[in-house]
Amino acid sequence: MSATGLQLNKVTIRFGGLTAVSEVSATVRPGELAGLIGPNGAGKTTVFNLITGVYSPTEGAIEFAGRAITGLRPFEITARGIARTFQNIRLFGSLTVFDNVRVAFHLHLRQGPGQSLSRGPTFHHEERELTERTRELLEIFKLDRVRDEPARSLPYGDQRRLEIVRALATQPELLLLDEPAAGMNPAEKVELMKLIQFIQERYKLAILLVEHDMKVVMGICQRIHVLEYGRKIAEGTPAQVRENPAVIAAYLGYDPENGPTK
Amino acid sequence: MPSWLNRSQLVLVAALLAAGLAQFFSNHLDSYVLSVAMGVGINIVLASSLNLINGFTGQFSLGHAGFMAVGAYTSAVLTGKLAAQLNPIFGGHVYLLFPFALVVGGLVAAVAGGLVGAPSLRLKGDYLAIVTLGFGEIIKVIFQNVEYVGGAKGLNAIPDYSNLFWVFGTTAITVYTVWALLNSTYGRGFLAVADDEISAEAMGLNTTRYKMVAFVVGAFFAGIAGGLFAHLNNYINPSGFDFNKSIEIVVMVILGGMGRHTGVILSAILLTVLTELLRQFGDYRMVIYSLLLIVLMILRPQGLMVWPFKNPLWFYLKAYWPFRMLARRPTS
Repeated sequence: MSATGLQLNKVTIRFGGLTAVSEVSATVRPGELAGLIGPNGAGKTTVFNLITGVYSPTEGAIEFAGRAITGLRPFEITARGIARTFQNIRLFGSLTVFDNVRVAFHLHLRQGPGQSLSRGPTFHHEERELTERTRELLEIFKLDRVRDEPARSLPYGDQRRLEIVRALATQPELLLLDEPAAGMNPAEKVELMKLIQFIQERYKLAILLVEHDMKVVMGICQRIHVLEYGRKIAEGTPAQVRENPAVIAAYLGYDPENGPTK
Repeated sequence: MPSWLNRSQLVLVAALLAAGLAQFFSNHLDSYVLSVAMGVGINIVLASSLNLINGFTGQFSLGHAGFMAVGAYTSAVLTGKLAAQLNPIFGGHVYLLFPFALVVGGLVAAVAGGLVGAPSLRLKGDYLAIVTLGFGEIIKVIFQNVEYVGGAKGLNAIPDYSNLFWVFGTTAITVYTVWALLNSTYGRGFLAVADDEISAEAMGLNTTRYKMVAFVVGAFFAGIAGGLFAHLNNYINPSGFDFNKSIEIVVMVILGGMGRHTGVILSAILLTVLTELLRQFGDYRMVIYSLLLIVLMILRPQGLMVWPFKNPLWFYLKAYWPFRMLARRPTS
């Protein structure tokens, strides 16, 4: 990846009269672990959908590795090196754990329909190689024991993990995680934080994380972007964001139980 | 085992040889039994190819009879009206002319599949079903109005070139194609598209291309099945390829269990034989047929033949002698 990483330049999207995201500019540098936070409905997932091509911005431009990716289709953006997970898990439910990961190698396949039919030596060689790489990934993330189970039968935490593994199989340079800690208990969250840091170090990825859980975000992110009502209101290190009065007012200040996380 | 053939291709070659052998001994068979057997084969081709679209790729198409009609008419014109021009090329050999006509019929149907698929595959579920349904009807109306192919009267005196070899050879190739296409890393993409299109796109799969491949391959085999059908019945007319025919094929796929290879083949066999057995009940035939469908769907909503054991049938069979040879890995 070139030094530029991901850049959003005044990205705006309107759905009819509603401006869901308004003039958001942000940068995720290569190898950086960044966070994107904001109250419910602030537009975090919409930003993800804009980056990954699910939506096209009404105005503004998105660049990745120095090239514009605005208006590309999702699979083309994945081919440029941006992979994602989903807030509401979207695994291939009827496929096995193994096949879920195997399918995600698609971008790097040399085979197509022709080779599937002729099944020559190169086809078998590639299938063996992919089986090996899939097995390796599943082992690293401790999913090898359930490899032949259909993905939908996995426990919730494993499904979240599998989604991350599947995204990694596309060999991204930037990984977008949409609320990976949602629905996890505290012990699982600690585990998840370790996992995210491990992934970042091992695969030399940039990670952009949407998360509600402040412990997770403050614990691992190097830089945090804060959204409110579709606008970016702050950016900085966890310490800076925590002290930022706008953020406290918009977000942490309204948390009745815990108060500002400090 | 020759090193250039792997296990699945060996099975395919064996099936083709078996089809040839069956044809060799077929003159001992009653002509009614023969025609039912060929009907079974043609329906397996139709159901398996539709299964690729509806079952494995999850795109609900109701236009299969339309593609079948395209193949049927194309091949019938080639072996009928154009036979005089084509015969010199093939030296008058039927065993060259007929497969040529079948393949061209399939290719024209595949092109039709591409033309219908390109605009309509953006649609999902019910919408796609309606568009493909409309396509089927358009095809029917076109053939009804083209005098060259007999208009509403249809085409008759089509030579009876279909025999057990061509029918079951095609069946074997279709089943192999659908199976081989699915059983690869590339092919798992069809299932991924069926499961969740949005996340399939996010994983880098060009879902439109996958759907097109499924549609075009499915239409190709439907076209060939149409050709076999035309040269089995010696007569085709546009209303034989109407909405009801498409539904008949869809029922086979649903009853067999969407996205199941064996189940769909079995249900194609069962339903074809069943309609023949019910002929004796005359007017009540369709009533009984429908009742049986309802009962079957209540009893086996997951599909007729869903293997109840953990491992595939092959796992249990390969311990036995005739299968052991096949189970050996290629030495290359």
